[in-house]
Amino acid sequence: TAAEPWPENAALYQQLREEQILLSDNASSLAVQAFLQMCNLPIRVVCRANAEYMSPSGKLPFIHVGNQVVSELGPIVQFVKAKGHSLSDGLDEVQKAEMKAYMELVNNMLLTAELYLQWCDDVTAEEITHPRYGSPYPWPLNRILSYQKQWEVKRKMKAIGWAGKTLEQVLEDVDQCCQALSQRLGTQPYFFNKQPTELDALVFGHLFTILTTQLITDELSEKVKNYSNLTAFCRRIEQQYFLGHDKDSSATVAARSAKRSLLR
Amino acid sequence: LQAYAKFSGAPLTVNTINNSWRALKGDVPVLISEDIVISQPAKILNFLRKQKYNADYELSAKQGADTLAYIALLEEKLLPALLHTFWVETENYCSVTKPWFASRIPFPLSLYLPGKVYREALNRILLTRGGPPLYSFAEVEAQIHRDAKECLNLLSKRLGTSRFFFGHTPTTLDAFVFGFLAPIYKVSFPRVQLQEHVKQLPNLCRFCDDILTCYFGLTVSGHTPAGQDTADANLQKLTQLVNKESNLIEKMDDNLRKSPQHPPRKLTTLKLAAGGEQSSPLNLLSP
Repeated sequence: TAAEPWPENAALYQQLREEQILLSDNASSLAVQAFLQMCNLPIRVVCRANAEYMSPSGKLPFIHVGNQVVSELGPIVQFVKAKGHSLSDGLDEVQKAEMKAYMELVNNMLLTAELYLQWCDDVTAEEITHPRYGSPYPWPLNRILSYQKQWEVKRKMKAIGWAGKTLEQVLEDVDQCCQALSQRLGTQPYFFNKQPTELDALVFGHLFTILTTQLITDELSEKVKNYSNLTAFCRRIEQQYFLGHDKDSSATVAARSAKRSLLR
Repeated sequence: LQAYAKFSGAPLTVNTINNSWRALKGDVPVLISEDIVISQPAKILNFLRKQKYNADYELSAKQGADTLAYIALLEEKLLPALLHTFWVETENYCSVTKPWFASRIPFPLSLYLPGKVYREALNRILLTRGGPPLYSFAEVEAQIHRDAKECLNLLSKRLGTSRFFFGHTPTTLDAFVFGFLAPIYKVSFPRVQLQEHVKQLPNLCRFCDDILTCYFGLTVSGHTPAGQDTADANLQKLTQLVNKESNLIEKMDDNLRKSPQHPPRKLTTLKLAAGGEQSSPLNLLSP
């Protein structure tokens, strides 16, 4: 129930960090972790190969709190709010509208671009995504599962009109999105000045993951690096909310391992 | 799109493409300027901007960023419900959208194209919003309408008491919001959840009516003033509005550029009978 306080054993589930998790899921997971850190709510990260199937919506990450299971950042933010914790209460109505709009922008452009790169770019799909996605399972299950997932993602891309895009166009979209985020952030420490909100968590999750994940080429991370205030933003949040806490903190580990993990 | 053109003062002649087999690919609306053919609203907007018809000239960088964010919000939260209202909701589709749309395009396309757009609308809704934990279509419908209402509320809050979203002159964002909002607000459907909701947000209604009167010459009551051209513009605007919403099919316009040997398109401007006989879409305007 909403009235119960946040338990000590709350857990966040994602796929296996070293071998299995993909860029997009890592970004989403990091966003939730950042959000919970910002709310000062303890969470431990549990890695499971079948995390995707355990999730109530099929999407990751999900958190297990008390006897409730909630997946994806949006619902998690609402769940946390029902328990009395919120980062955006101090915002006025117009700011809240803006915050929601920018979160949609990140989902609409960044997340979709990540999915596109992973599943629709043939080289990346073949060399990175397929091997990673099915890695916990024996052949031929590993191939079957990853091809099935690829088909699903491609179908969705077609429905929203991204199937016809080329990689250059997708990268251009990423650049446009980063430019908008950079302009909105300006010289402030966080998007709504002094205090971070769920938007900061979301942006951090995606940008940090893009910056620290090694793919076939550096084109994607270069897009983010073009905007120095965005890289500074990521560093700031990493330092404030992830480093200097326990050494096992997932972002640090993720950062260290991501650099070497994505090449077989 | 028409709204943007009016805002930025671009001299835009709106032609209804009647003989468009290209409509098979759904390439409307299409902008034709000195032999350069461009489809897809976003590209058309870019083109207009590069041609110096820029309604966003006065915006700051931050406001430009805000525009992008709000457009994402519209596409994510409002568009599914809009598609649903126009194309998926059976009563609406059968009694309004399909006959209206079909009357604008030539036989035999009219047999085929509405169904195609319907299928793609449904597909888009299901693929992007369906799925666990929503297990029935009714739940999906309920969720997208909830999201749409929340989005409308957010827009209303953002607009506040200003005339336009960024002050006194309209910009791209105003054009987009108008493009999404006006069909919901003005077209009379049998099933009108969204419209009821819009009517409860007076500043959004005022926003739409303002743009309609100032830039499209429509009086709020929906009766057109005397004049062929205004009537033409009205009909075309309404057609374009519907076409824009049905522009889910984003195919490359490369196809067009690469094939100059297309038979010349028959472009006709809509003409009403001199007696000012109103055809059906105008009657659908709710006062």
